[in-house]
Amino acid sequence: MTTTLTNHAPNHAPKKVAVTPTARRGGPASRKRGENLTGWMFIGPFMIFFILFLVVPIVWGLYLSFTGQTLTGRGGGLVGFANYQEALVDPDMWRSMGNTLWFVLISTVPLVLIALAMAVLVNLGLPGQWLWRLSYFMPYLLASSVVSLFWVWMFNPQLGLINAITGLFGAEPIAWLQDPKYAMLGIVIATVWWTVGFNFLLYLAALQNIPEQQYEAAALDGAGTWRQLVSITIPNLAPTTVLILILQILASLKVFDQIYQMTAGGPGGTTRSAVQYIFEVGFTGYRFGYSSAISYIFFALVVIISIAQFAVASRKGLKK
Amino acid sequence: MMNGKISADSGAGLSRRTLIVGAAAIFGGGWMITGLTGCAPAGALAAAPGSTQLSFWHLLTGGDGIKMSALVDGANADSSSFFAKQTILTWGTPYYTKLAMASAGGRAPDVAIMHASRLPGYAPGGLLDEWDLERLAQHGVTEANFPAAIWNSGFSGGKLYAIALDAHPFILMYNTDIAREAGVLGANGQLELMTTPAQFIEVARKMQAVTGRRGLSYGYLGDGAQMWRLFYTFYRQLGATMTLEPGKPARVNEDAGTTALEFMQELLDGTIATAAGDYATALAEFVNGESGLFLTGVWELPTMQTAGLSFDAMPIPNLFGAPATYADSHTFVLPRQANLDPVAREDVYAFVADILKSSLAWAEAGHIPAYLPVVDSVAYQELVPQAHYANAVDHLNYDPQAWFSGSGSDFQTFFAESLQSVLLDKTDARAGFQAFVRRLNVLLSKPNPVG
Amino acid sequence: MTAIQTRRKPITIGNIAALMVLGVLAVSWLLPFAWALVTSLKTETDAGSTPVSWIPPSGFTFDAYAQVLGDGNLLTWTFNSLLTSVIITVLTVGLSALAAYAFSRLDFSGRKWLFAVIIGSIIIPPQVLIIPLFYQMLAMDLVDTYWGIILPQVIAPAMVFILKKFFDQIPIELEEAARMDGASRLRVFMTIVLPLSRPILAAVAIFVFIAAWNNFLWPFIITNDTALMTLPVGLQTVKSAFGVQYAQNMAMAILAALPLIVVFLIFQRQIIRGIATTGLGGQ
Repeated sequence: MTTTLTNHAPNHAPKKVAVTPTARRGGPASRKRGENLTGWMFIGPFMIFFILFLVVPIVWGLYLSFTGQTLTGRGGGLVGFANYQEALVDPDMWRSMGNTLWFVLISTVPLVLIALAMAVLVNLGLPGQWLWRLSYFMPYLLASSVVSLFWVWMFNPQLGLINAITGLFGAEPIAWLQDPKYAMLGIVIATVWWTVGFNFLLYLAALQNIPEQQYEAAALDGAGTWRQLVSITIPNLAPTTVLILILQILASLKVFDQIYQMTAGGPGGTTRSAVQYIFEVGFTGYRFGYSSAISYIFFALVVIISIAQFAVASRKGLKK
Repeated sequence: MMNGKISADSGAGLSRRTLIVGAAAIFGGGWMITGLTGCAPAGALAAAPGSTQLSFWHLLTGGDGIKMSALVDGANADSSSFFAKQTILTWGTPYYTKLAMASAGGRAPDVAIMHASRLPGYAPGGLLDEWDLERLAQHGVTEANFPAAIWNSGFSGGKLYAIALDAHPFILMYNTDIAREAGVLGANGQLELMTTPAQFIEVARKMQAVTGRRGLSYGYLGDGAQMWRLFYTFYRQLGATMTLEPGKPARVNEDAGTTALEFMQELLDGTIATAAGDYATALAEFVNGESGLFLTGVWELPTMQTAGLSFDAMPIPNLFGAPATYADSHTFVLPRQANLDPVAREDVYAFVADILKSSLAWAEAGHIPAYLPVVDSVAYQELVPQAHYANAVDHLNYDPQAWFSGSGSDFQTFFAESLQSVLLDKTDARAGFQAFVRRLNVLLSKPNPVG
Repeated sequence: MTAIQTRRKPITIGNIAALMVLGVLAVSWLLPFAWALVTSLKTETDAGSTPVSWIPPSGFTFDAYAQVLGDGNLLTWTFNSLLTSVIITVLTVGLSALAAYAFSRLDFSGRKWLFAVIIGSIIIPPQVLIIPLFYQMLAMDLVDTYWGIILPQVIAPAMVFILKKFFDQIPIELEEAARMDGASRLRVFMTIVLPLSRPILAAVAIFVFIAAWNNFLWPFIITNDTALMTLPVGLQTVKSAFGVQYAQNMAMAILAALPLIVVFLIFQRQIIRGIATTGLGGQ
């Protein structure tokens, strides 16, 4: 087991390494022919599913985005770029994209910083290890539906625990999920509670891979705990932080579940995410063609952000 | 496939299987632990042997939901041939989205509730099956049993797709104690007749003088449906119409729209009615006796009765010349079935007929039954205050027809987006109405996905 | 592998402060669970009354649980979740392991570009496929079926990548010896490679299972029949005729959360390790 962990130690961003598989070994031509057949037998089942449920929908979706197809089966004819033209000037689409980016921005920072703080504190080796890890990680195991039920109840303006607690300090009750000023904040609080445990685990795993000798050497030099944190722990965690940022941003861009369940995108569309807009245009508004076009615009956004991230990450990596 | 083999004859497969089996055992165990209440699990509500299970979808909760559950239980008890199982989904967009997806998927519920105003978004798209008039007649349900406006609201393209259970108009409730003190009750103990906006405001002011708080309660904040219900009532009273035809600009009466909105602004002045009230606040205000008048839907009637308020109700008075009131109907529809079970379909007819005939119970939830034999019954005529607003059915106005309009639709959302600031911040009514019409025109310019 | 190297900690102000922060965080993180649990044990009247209190005036009761379990839906949904998640996990691990082994060990033509395509597909957000996939399910008549829930969820390119990385560092000599004795590739794979890969297979299986168990969007789209809904979908879709019932809502939430939490408490170490391993390999 130790091997797996150390092997995936975040000193190298794994995705990059992957694209160039190492040629294992050459062989005589006859063996090569045999391997062809065996290889395709091994890969065949996966490829069937891959083609049926990934390649086909990707291509079909692209085709749909150039049609007026609807849920009711009508309007299947080609419409050229009309859907894309409509999308580019659709204020609701841009608003949902903006909401999504805003969510990514204000959720990612606490999701990284709180996770880091939790991991560093737990890694001090103080008593209560089992309790800390359990309580921080447990929410990650919950389905979004459970998280939403919990937090809609926590945020209930009259009966919720949050307003009861803030009320102890004299604060006025807040309609967390009904007030446009607070709704996104409410979503972010619930999301941080739900998923920070995952990042916490990744940080904890990385912390355990920092060689103990580094700390011992620093201690000999008279460096205190704080000094060790700044000069040893944080720099050693840099690759993990980059990885967590990449994973976190990509995951948050796709946000749908908890928003749809807690506010349904309201009030007044202030929390509607891009994925929810795709869903609504397609299934509430019946417009499969237009929804597919928006899907592709959103896909392009995700790809651009991913490429930008990897570019930044690899440049950082080169400097090291 | 290969994985079958893997788990069958390899050690690793076994370990994986052990893991899964182990996990399954624990899941089971967890459930045992939680099953501490020891009551009967699944199947407690199963159908009697030999009867058809009907799946019935609706969106009614609270007072409406309890009454509907009782009606369904009653229908099940009356029939040995079917057992209807109700599924309740979230009111508004989530419900209608799922209903459309289920119909498109071909394994839809056998029967469902739909607002009459949503019909144009479903029937023309082939998402609903039509009702057979002859079979309905066999169950005692005919055109003669319904007010014409309600019966006709179930048609689309000349075919009957919806059988109305009720009409639920927007009405005016009033606190009789406060009204008496304000001296605005007529000889018959009911609110005096009001025929102009000025008279309405005068009555509201007299009520306000009594309560010392507000005269009128009306909640609209963040609630497009509420804004639309009152607006459309006044707009129609002004004799104006709204026609939405895809591919063409909306045909509206801008002057009437402006007048209606300006009158609403006048009411929401902070004294007559609170300037910034949401649905729950307005409701609480009226229930607590802090206002004398309440503009609301009939469905809030049970709330008032539960609160023990002395109150009465009437149709919204005709202030602008033409009697009119906003309304919608809960109707029964047949979501499209890919593989129709004729037995289940036959049972649906019996089920719907049974509920229509027992809809006096539905009237207790405030709704005006659509089925005339119930409305004409002595029992209903004696039901107060229901009987006091039953004549609202003479002047019902459903939403302008379009695939995107109706209860809980985008149309109402857009209305709120364009006009909340007119009501809240008293911005220019005409400009607000124009913005709404522009929004409608964008929708109308898009291809109609069901037409 | 002990998780934490416990360095002996003197009682310093810093450590006490750290413990306090840990404690405050733990309380904050456990609070929603505790509040839900307490609410679920109240009567509906107590749950819906102000002021908010931890100890209900009418005492604690299991009424909400009795109501929720008596309804039967929750058991149906749990069964559906278990069934679909297990099948998804078995299929995903099986398909991914076979494919990963081929990429790791077999020199077939087209390997390089195929691998690049599969790894590249990690970038595709499954959410952008909902429209064409739903349409495809309509065409295949799989809307409102278990297979409709399962099939689109078994493609996990990231898992292929993680497994391939693991297979890459199994010493080749072990397999070559067996090959000399005339064992087929499949036999080598199953008798040598898979047993050596148990930890990583378990890690992948855990990750896939949790993801499938908790998945909302796709099962939500593909199921309309309440008898086929999974737990997360049913919880959010089906309402009570009585309107919002706070105690029952929380009882359902607790019951829905329980299976995975119980599994976690038992396999805590393996699950944490598995998540860390697969998490670092990509989601």
